[in-house]
Amino acid sequence: MVRRHTLQRVVSMITSPFWLGFTIIAMRVYYRYRIADLTAVRQQYRRIRAQSDAPMLVCANHLTLVDSFIIAWALGSGLYWFRHPRELAWNTPESTNFETSWPLRLLIFVTKCIPITRGGPREDIGEVLERVKYLLSSGETALLFPEAGRSRSGRVEEDAAAWGVGRVVGAVPGCRVLCVYMRGREQETWSDFPAKGDTMDVSLVCIEPKSDAKGVRRSVDLARQVTGQLLRMEEEYFDDRK
Amino acid sequence: MDQSEVMERVVKILTPWVKDEAALGQVSMETNILEDLKVNSARLVDVVIAFEDDFDIEIADEDVDQVNTVGDAVNLISGKL
Repeated sequence: MVRRHTLQRVVSMITSPFWLGFTIIAMRVYYRYRIADLTAVRQQYRRIRAQSDAPMLVCANHLTLVDSFIIAWALGSGLYWFRHPRELAWNTPESTNFETSWPLRLLIFVTKCIPITRGGPREDIGEVLERVKYLLSSGETALLFPEAGRSRSGRVEEDAAAWGVGRVVGAVPGCRVLCVYMRGREQETWSDFPAKGDTMDVSLVCIEPKSDAKGVRRSVDLARQVTGQLLRMEEEYFDDRK
Repeated sequence: MDQSEVMERVVKILTPWVKDEAALGQVSMETNILEDLKVNSARLVDVVIAFEDDFDIEIADEDVDQVNTVGDAVNLISGKL
């Protein structure tokens, strides 16, 4: 496990100026995306980070294929991630979206991704979650989407939430969860990419889920605390726009 | 409780979540819960909690990783009774 992730981590760090730089330029120049109050979002993220050295799992709502990239851009600059590589989150993209060709497989390797096949064999999913637990326990950061896939309704779907998030949080002592609610102002529902020229609003809340339950119920309880937080953030987002 | 009784109860518990009802008529120990019975993978946790409640057992997250077929569920539950 150590050797496997060390290689990927090192390759990712060395290549990050290129793929992070290219990604940010593509998002800003070609897609013309903007992050509202970017400086404030990054300052808030750094304040949250500075509060504790406890392991941090990032959990976000999921609407497009590039949410992870936009979240990374929102939370820090390319230089910041180069200087704080352990804070740049590992991701678990759906393998069928990104394993169709060797360039894409190389891309997900260098961008700190561990592909997962949703609905696939339980042992394979369990193995990915074990890797995420290991990474968090080793001081790395990971990002999981509690809903697993992109929301087909365009809203956080508590019923669709997988309990894998709860498994990870429950297994990593002291794990904090940075809940990120991100949405483009023109984003009505799910899509591959946000609309060109869209402005993203990003809100952050850090929670420390806890549960006295045992076994699967404990994981479900913890997962529901995370999705519950995202639901509250979504309500605030839409309330602010009324 | 013998294995056939456990299997009967497992199938009964699974039934509300099964999307391919025709597959229920041919269910066996080798029947895959997600692929054959078309149970939504996001609902698997509800199935597991129903197993816990019905059989009065506790199932760990890691145990769930070994459950792909009806037979896997039957063997897991039988081992905890």
